[in-house]
Amino acid sequence: MAGMSFLVDTSRCTACRGCQIACKNWNQNGAGMTKNLGTHQNPPDLDGNTFKLVRFSEHLKDGKPVWYFFADQCRHCIEPPCKDAIQGYVDGGVIHDEETGAVVYTEKTKGVPVDEVRASCPYDIPRAKDDGTVVKCTMCIDRVRNGLKPACVKVCPTGAMNFGTRDEMMALAQERLAALKGKFPKAQLLDPDDVRTLYLVTDDPALYHPYAVAGVRPGISRKLALRKLFFAPARNVAKGLRMG
Amino acid sequence: MKLTRRDFLKISSAATAGLALGGCTTMGFNMQPVQEQAWRLRTQDAKETPTICCYCAVGCGIICHTDNRSGKVIYTEGDADHPINGGALCAKGAAAYQIARNEKRITKVLYRAPYSSRWEEKSWDWAIKEIAKRVKASRDKSFTVKNAKGQVVNRCDGIASVGSAALDNEECWIYQAMLRAMGLVYIEHQARI
Amino acid sequence: MTNHWIDIKNSDCILIMGSNAAENHPISFRWVTEAQKNGATLISVDPRFTRTSSKADFYTALRSGTDIAFLGGMINYILSNNKYFKEYVARYTNACFIVGKKYGFHDGLFSGFDPKTRKYDKSYWAYELDENGVPKKDYTLKHPRTVFQLLKKHFSRYTLDKVSAVTGTPKEDLVKVYELYSATGKPDKAGTIMYAMGWTQHTVGVQNIRTMAIIQLLLGNMGVAGGGVNALRGESNVQGSTDHCLLFHIWPGYLPTPTASAATLADYNKKYTPVSHDPLSANWWQNRPKYVVSFLKAMFGDAADAGNDFGYGWMPKLDDGKAYSWLDLFDAMYRGEFSGFFAWGQNPACSGANAAKTREALTRLDWMVNVNLFDNETASFWKGPGMDPGKVKTEVFFLPCAAFMEKEGSVTNSGRWAQWRYKAQDPPGEAKPDGDIMVELFNEIRSLYAKEGGVFPDPILNLKWDYTTDGKFDAHKVARTINGEFTRDVTIKDKTYKKGQLVPSFAFLQADGSTTSGNWLYCQSYNESGNNMARRDTTDASGIGLYSNWAWCWPVNRRILYNRASVDLMGRPWNPKKPVIAFAGEVRDGKYVTNKWVGDVPDGGWYPMMNPDGTLRTDTKYPFIMKPHGFGGIFGPGRNDGPFPEHYEPIECPVEKNLFSSQFTNPVAAVYGTEKDVYKTCDPRYPFVGTTYRVTEHWQTGVLTRWQPWLLETEPQLFVEMSEELARLRGIKNGEKVIVESPRGAVEAVAMVTKRFRPFLVQGQEIHQVGLPWHYGWVWPPDGGDSANLLSPSAGDPNTRIPETKAFMVNVRKKGV
Repeated sequence: MAGMSFLVDTSRCTACRGCQIACKNWNQNGAGMTKNLGTHQNPPDLDGNTFKLVRFSEHLKDGKPVWYFFADQCRHCIEPPCKDAIQGYVDGGVIHDEETGAVVYTEKTKGVPVDEVRASCPYDIPRAKDDGTVVKCTMCIDRVRNGLKPACVKVCPTGAMNFGTRDEMMALAQERLAALKGKFPKAQLLDPDDVRTLYLVTDDPALYHPYAVAGVRPGISRKLALRKLFFAPARNVAKGLRMG
Repeated sequence: MKLTRRDFLKISSAATAGLALGGCTTMGFNMQPVQEQAWRLRTQDAKETPTICCYCAVGCGIICHTDNRSGKVIYTEGDADHPINGGALCAKGAAAYQIARNEKRITKVLYRAPYSSRWEEKSWDWAIKEIAKRVKASRDKSFTVKNAKGQVVNRCDGIASVGSAALDNEECWIYQAMLRAMGLVYIEHQARI
Repeated sequence: MTNHWIDIKNSDCILIMGSNAAENHPISFRWVTEAQKNGATLISVDPRFTRTSSKADFYTALRSGTDIAFLGGMINYILSNNKYFKEYVARYTNACFIVGKKYGFHDGLFSGFDPKTRKYDKSYWAYELDENGVPKKDYTLKHPRTVFQLLKKHFSRYTLDKVSAVTGTPKEDLVKVYELYSATGKPDKAGTIMYAMGWTQHTVGVQNIRTMAIIQLLLGNMGVAGGGVNALRGESNVQGSTDHCLLFHIWPGYLPTPTASAATLADYNKKYTPVSHDPLSANWWQNRPKYVVSFLKAMFGDAADAGNDFGYGWMPKLDDGKAYSWLDLFDAMYRGEFSGFFAWGQNPACSGANAAKTREALTRLDWMVNVNLFDNETASFWKGPGMDPGKVKTEVFFLPCAAFMEKEGSVTNSGRWAQWRYKAQDPPGEAKPDGDIMVELFNEIRSLYAKEGGVFPDPILNLKWDYTTDGKFDAHKVARTINGEFTRDVTIKDKTYKKGQLVPSFAFLQADGSTTSGNWLYCQSYNESGNNMARRDTTDASGIGLYSNWAWCWPVNRRILYNRASVDLMGRPWNPKKPVIAFAGEVRDGKYVTNKWVGDVPDGGWYPMMNPDGTLRTDTKYPFIMKPHGFGGIFGPGRNDGPFPEHYEPIECPVEKNLFSSQFTNPVAAVYGTEKDVYKTCDPRYPFVGTTYRVTEHWQTGVLTRWQPWLLETEPQLFVEMSEELARLRGIKNGEKVIVESPRGAVEAVAMVTKRFRPFLVQGQEIHQVGLPWHYGWVWPPDGGDSANLLSPSAGDPNTRIPETKAFMVNVRKKGV
């Protein structure tokens, strides 16, 4: 389980959204004509042109505001459930790159029901383009395999986005976590053993995003969710999750 | 100038892609056959030109990647060598590409006649000549040699200028030179607001 | 910035107030974060909790327009609790100066005020001089008329109770900020301020910044690494365009624009060259005549010589006492004074205060030229909301220009670094670089005057205008002119410089016409060692992030201004761990005998003030070399609204009295009198404080960013942020359209109901504030909203005349109610 990993240190994120745009720039993704829906978070959700989205959430803590930013993207699971969901429909729809651990969808995903792929994902990441191709973060595999950092990491000014070998990122994650624990007792890493995109948060993950961790859905633990995803056919999983 | 690329990545295994075999398409990867897994950088053959971001005054370095054949910018990203931004950019800086390649850019001289409800396309030659005529007429008509107190002021009171903090230094300097030579005193720009 | 972006990492305490750096200068947070990693405290003070606040160690809010009260309380705290840096204050600031007996302050007014003209006679604030004409000093700071004692008295009125009642900031929050920040008063600690338009866009804008400058001087934070007074400037080259003075009141290099009373160059030099009788004051501006002549030589070349006052008479003169600033310009345009107008790379129909007045003013022109990349509300004003094109006479020429990566030249960032940039592609279609447009236009104007004659053609015909290569604008040629060259063979300090050779640096400029320099501050930017602005050396020998061989910065590549205040009288750094400069000369018998500084380019390379044996030297200069007397200005007798800051309410405010005095608003603020200039205070129709600001994803009027799909997607529409309490009061739901209206206009905006705005408790009442970005305009996108400047008033600071767009009064209501 070597390969590469991201560390997203949300305590460093200023929501400048450089990553959200850099992702579109490298991937040559377009943009929609959105509306302001009463939040700075826009587009409102991940979509076929948005593989990386900074989610904004505000809360009051001891009478003062806090504003959490969650630069959401594919977790590049160590054992990606979406791979099974897609492979159930088409061969060669997913490349699980051995070198890096990147989970990359190919053009062959066109026509695979995106709802089912999406439901297989504990983090609600995959989306479809207008032409039906299922898409998400590619870990900038083309950049990474050529010795460049992913676009969203290179662009980040504060060290919120980090990328490197899994060992490096795990070490960095532990170091940052230890440094934050004093000030933020709830600081934690989200599902670090199961994913290659390690999120470090300073508060209850549910305050950032409902899908921040795999286990936040009521009635189903993260481990259970992952296990079910691996052993159940994609369609059933989709139903199971919806019902759960 | 020398570009050194300080942002090279250490990859866990020594192997990175060597030869470029087949490109990746815009969306979704065209991998045939999948097992080959060779990834080509779309900027691989582009020419790199350093510039400085056009927005706030942090002065971040940006690298423009220009396609050798078309001469067009195909990608922009932070300049990893730049001591201030070290390759990082904000949302605006990261979108610089959409200034370089934007179909909404105005690419022809436009003219709106008095009381007209539309723009007309014009040539540069026509516009420069017409503007110069108007500058001269306005200046000659409004020029104040002496003020109300009888002091020599030699100024053009009938033309004003605003702009611009978006110009390069060299443009700013010749702009102020030509305006002051014409006698303008109402010279202002973004720094005042 | 007196310091620079990377230097923020050296700070022990960062106060972000009057700016929202994380959103408007996002990459500054690379260095703010670095400082925090090293243990620095980040304080955010803002009416609204912002992305900056989200990263702060401590956040508190204040009502817009009350910064002087907030910071005045900090001065009081520092002085009452002995938190100031005594040696620094006594030796490097004018705290020790004795002010004349005519100075006085009573009930909100300084002495010398003339209620008829609404002006101060500044001679009332003069220092007491000794027999040589040098200000008298008391280094013990005990004399009752020392600046120090007057400061103490003035700000003793800024008690916690009063400050809290005015600002709406809870007392415990005030104390917390004061404690955290004043901890940098120790010699080896540095605090920095990052401010921007949140401080300048007020009728007390200059005094907002003066208040902080006083704090920085009291704490010894000027000149040191991690300190300074740092204005975060908002456009890529607004520093450069200011340095080159696209402004009515100054010529390139901050040389005052002459007024009519300075008829000759000799008059000019007499009027504008400061004099100091103190042999220890460098009084750098005594060199002004050299810079003026070199500038005129750059303007007119060989046509300027001693015989014709170097062309001084060709330059336009202002009327004495009259302002020609932005607000005055559009006021004059509104009154029909102009037939022609250039809006070059700017969108005034959205960018200035009271945009409706500006838009109406544009209809009073005969012709207008707009140079821009995209269509905008200025170019197309004649078809904007409320306009009938059939009734608008103004002819409009829209000239499409190149974008920044389509031309070569330099821009100067906020840290004064001039950086060269290169061309990466041709402009699209027929768009042209601005430089080419200027060259072609002026060539045509000149040939008309050459052919037809005309009024006073001399300056037009004599302007040096040889800035092309192969018919195209050549930035290198202008850069050489800006730097300057020798016009004849000259020998200076035993070295001969040939005619045509580039001047090494401004120390070599002359007042006799033997040198040219388009801008003395940039002399050294492009000299015989090459184009220094294009340097790309990534090494940092300083250890504090100066990167002295990356690009070039003015003046003379000095990266931290006033750096001689970063050392003690003997030249030893106050903070040995982060030395900016240090004296490294040899010592013999307790005296320095050779002169050598290491580190940054020192602010004047004189010996330190004191020898190691404690004796004072006479061959030295005080550190604040740009000030006539050489001392940091706690007392500021040159300002139009008083030598000390004083809290006044904004021109439009929600309170009926100023708790500090019966002088309600700034007595000398700039206000205007057309029917479009309406101001309402305490009017029940406009009960809420309004303010304007920006977001990361757009820039200024949005003239570039609204056209970019990736950016527009993130912030597609004008919004108004308001508290949940205000939304409840007005029955407004998050995300619905509302109307925001001021006495001057109204805009439709999406309500953003947020926990990040809270009501203020001001003078015992609950006061609400709302805020809107000013990035939008009717041209694009559809349903994007219009400019928030339709709401803001044309009232200005009495010194800078910058409009008060940060504090005014509005109403908010549901659409259709």
